[in-house]
Amino acid sequence: MNETFSKLVKELQAIVGERNATDDPAICTSYSRDQHWHFVPAKNPACIVRPGNKEEVRAVLMLANTHKIPVIPYSTGINVRGLTIPVHDGSILLDLSRMNRILEINPEMKTATVEPGVTFGMLLEQTRKYKLRPAFPDAPLTVSVLVNYYLRGIYQTSATDGHDHTISYEMILPNGETLKTGSRALSEMPYFRYGVGPDFAGMFCAHPGTCGVVTELTAKLYRLYDNRKEYFIGFDDVGTPTKFIYNLMNDDLAASIRLVDNQSWLKGIFGTFDYPYEKLPKFVLCVLIEGVDGIYEAKDKLVRAYMKECGGQVLELPAEFARTFEDECLGGAEKSCMVFGIKGRGNYHCIGLYGPLTLAAEYYEVHEKTALEVGIPQDHIHFYIDPIYSFHGQLCYFELDVFYDGSDEEFGDKLRNYNEKQFHRLLDLGIYGWFRPYAGIIEPTAERIGYLAEVWKKFLHVLDPNEIMNRGKLF
Amino acid sequence: MELEKEEILSAIHHCVKCKLCSIASFHPNEEWLPLCPSGEYYGYQAFYAPGKMEIFRAILEGEITEPSEGLLNSVYACTVCGACYEKCKQITSVELGAPDLFEAMRREMASKGWILDVHTSIADKIEETKNAYGEKYEYKVNAETTAGDADVLYYIGCTARYRVPEIADAMLGIFDKLGLKYQVMGEEWCCGSVLFRTGQVEAARELVAHNVEEIKKSGAKTVVFTCPGCLKTFKKDYPDMGVELLHSTQFLTRLGNMNLKKENLKAAYHDPCHLGRDLGIYEEPRAVLSEVADIKEMKREREQAWCCGSGGGVKSAFDDFALWSAAERLKEAKEAGAEALVSACPFCKRNLKEAAEKEELEVYDVVELVNRCLEG
Ligand SMILES: Cc1cc2nc3c(=O)[nH]c(=O)nc-3n(C[C@H](O)[C@H](O)[C@H](O)COP(=O)(O)OP(=O)(O)OC[C@H]3O[C@@H](n4cnc5c(N)ncnc54)[C@H](O)[C@@H]3O)c2cc1C
Ligand code: SF4
Ligand code: SF4
Repeated sequence: MNETFSKLVKELQAIVGERNATDDPAICTSYSRDQHWHFVPAKNPACIVRPGNKEEVRAVLMLANTHKIPVIPYSTGINVRGLTIPVHDGSILLDLSRMNRILEINPEMKTATVEPGVTFGMLLEQTRKYKLRPAFPDAPLTVSVLVNYYLRGIYQTSATDGHDHTISYEMILPNGETLKTGSRALSEMPYFRYGVGPDFAGMFCAHPGTCGVVTELTAKLYRLYDNRKEYFIGFDDVGTPTKFIYNLMNDDLAASIRLVDNQSWLKGIFGTFDYPYEKLPKFVLCVLIEGVDGIYEAKDKLVRAYMKECGGQVLELPAEFARTFEDECLGGAEKSCMVFGIKGRGNYHCIGLYGPLTLAAEYYEVHEKTALEVGIPQDHIHFYIDPIYSFHGQLCYFELDVFYDGSDEEFGDKLRNYNEKQFHRLLDLGIYGWFRPYAGIIEPTAERIGYLAEVWKKFLHVLDPNEIMNRGKLF
Repeated sequence: MELEKEEILSAIHHCVKCKLCSIASFHPNEEWLPLCPSGEYYGYQAFYAPGKMEIFRAILEGEITEPSEGLLNSVYACTVCGACYEKCKQITSVELGAPDLFEAMRREMASKGWILDVHTSIADKIEETKNAYGEKYEYKVNAETTAGDADVLYYIGCTARYRVPEIADAMLGIFDKLGLKYQVMGEEWCCGSVLFRTGQVEAARELVAHNVEEIKKSGAKTVVFTCPGCLKTFKKDYPDMGVELLHSTQFLTRLGNMNLKKENLKAAYHDPCHLGRDLGIYEEPRAVLSEVADIKEMKREREQAWCCGSGGGVKSAFDDFALWSAAERLKEAKEAGAEALVSACPFCKRNLKEAAEKEELEVYDVVELVNRCLEG
């Protein structure tokens, strides 16, 4: 480490306290790699800084901005896309996990305001006291609520809650200014997304730490109903269930609707390997309905009516499967992460995209075709559809998954090959967009979006003229 | 267990960095309960299991070439309690346990001389005095009740001999009160646990040879331990001596009805990591304790018990952290409505007791309560 940098670490320690900033190489190494290491190689940050409040965040950003030092915001680091792995030498990794206060749970407004270190588990522990819950991603419940919502994701209850749970937030920019979105900019009431002018919250959202550091965010909470019921319907192909999914979505009948294949996510959803999943039909549609008395029964009646004509096989499964499915959907993913334990195939690679339900069968077909072409065996190819409220454009999330052995370097080559072909093929086939923008995906996309790419880059330049904010993770 | 480099790297590559190992099972109670003492206390990723694995990878791949302070702290301020692995195993069925990996990591580091001075000084003390505390070798037992030809040998262990003698006294009291014939070793040497746990395997060889020889000479058929650390070491790191190795609570459960006078005491049971997670002994201590007190369940128990904070060489090197971890456990016992926190390990007792100095909570080893409740 050169002398200038050692001096800088001292300055950082003066801001956050000696214990909370270090350039120790071993400590830095522990942040150097994530599950995406076949695509984003390991690299050490030059130092780790752990601020305890927003004033410390501001001071660190201003210092970094003055010296033009790259900064990587990190809240829980579980993004599985290499998004917190440095691209540039001499980066500061800003570990925000100490900032883990739930600032407010407002049962009347059905909102929670959280700091970056608050995880889904921490939040539910508190909100359930009010019979409320956050919308849970399939991500482990150890991930940051703030980041997940800020990045905008895909949720177990997307069918009823949608995929955007952010109301407003506060972000500190590299120059130290604070930017507040929505009604938060005008008053102490952070409860309205579109407070003034354009949808600023939307504009800054979904950036992988490339604008500034979000220090608090107000999110939507949803009701926890006592009435709940699950159905599991088997199908042999992807095309047949689409009519059924359409009907469920069109009538707003289910809280969770997910078509998964029986060899990957289903095991996670049911929380055990101990079942002959291979005997089930290849695809299983998992449906959860809930609601207040009266509406719940009516929904159930309609779901059953649609089920009769759906062309699938209603599955009789052990009762504990339904219980686990409910726990994970309405209480956060824990056992779902069991997919990491699939023997010899525990590491997971996916391309996540948004598109219309009408293209479901084609997405699956192109997934299979490309995977087989690059030498990925059939039994490593998996698929998953999650329709999203309120179904304008028949909006669905599609996940083209490959489960593999992460220690197999050759498999890594195959996956890189797969990505290269598949990004282009999917863009040719037609998609609404990617799950999230990230390196690898953004390059072929930027070529196709015309002047928007230019505007986007200029927009980032205005916020971050010295290009210190996690550059390389987007453009 | 000796692990090959390839095996280790493969296990490390399978860690998806989900950090679910940092909390106890969330469902069905939906409570956020931390599980990794070292990560909770120090905060940096390096102190959680996935971060430590990454450091191990970098050591094996030659990226880390110096024993920086952060390296020594993150590796040795881990109690090797295995809580992370128990949780990870539930969801990932990974093929190698984190404690095995972390011990292999310490061996690798020790082979490069990357070790804490306080741990080498323990090795020096052991070499000189044959016990981990450098005390003069002596421990008096009641000559009337010990018998050289007894089938049962009580291996006392360094901590119960020199730091928490009330445990050794209680165990010997139980033998005496029950009129059981037993022997103790004339020259009991340290079992070597601390050396194995801190990667100093070579230094332990002489101890193993001596103790094996003495036990063989004794003719005992059963060796009883009040220290789970010693028991684990005998079971996992010693050659098979053809004798039965039992924890005190296993031995006592086997005796059946001891005519114990149950006390009016609400007690929480703290699972020692070596006894529970390492050896799978969860039921016997509870069975014995339930004979003498009313058990109050804590939130983190059995496989997902919160570590007392003293194992893996932590107590000697990072006492503040060890005491913080113990204080967390005491809080949990109080929340459970317990008047006493009872363990079955001298190491746990010592650390918990120290942390409880200003608390209105008693700390015992289960054999102390049994001895108290036995008609004398
Ligand atoms: C098994 C698995 C399944 C998953 N399934 C889903 C799913 O179904 N739906 C879904 O939405 N997600 C899913 N994810 C991804 C998940 O959303 C991310 O892991 C998580 O939400 C973001 O990661 P993180 O919270 O750990 O943030 P980090 O990894 O800390 O950060 C992620 C990105 O945000 C930036 N960032 C971090 N903190 C801040 C901040 N305070 N301000 C500004 N930028 C910041 C970082 O620089 C980085 O670019 C899954 C992940 C796993 C491991
Ligand atoms: S050790 Fe297991 S539980 Fe912990 S981060 Fe790795 S895979 Fe997840
Ligand atoms: S062994 Fe214990 S202290 Fe060490 S990383 Fe695992 S849970 Fe944490």
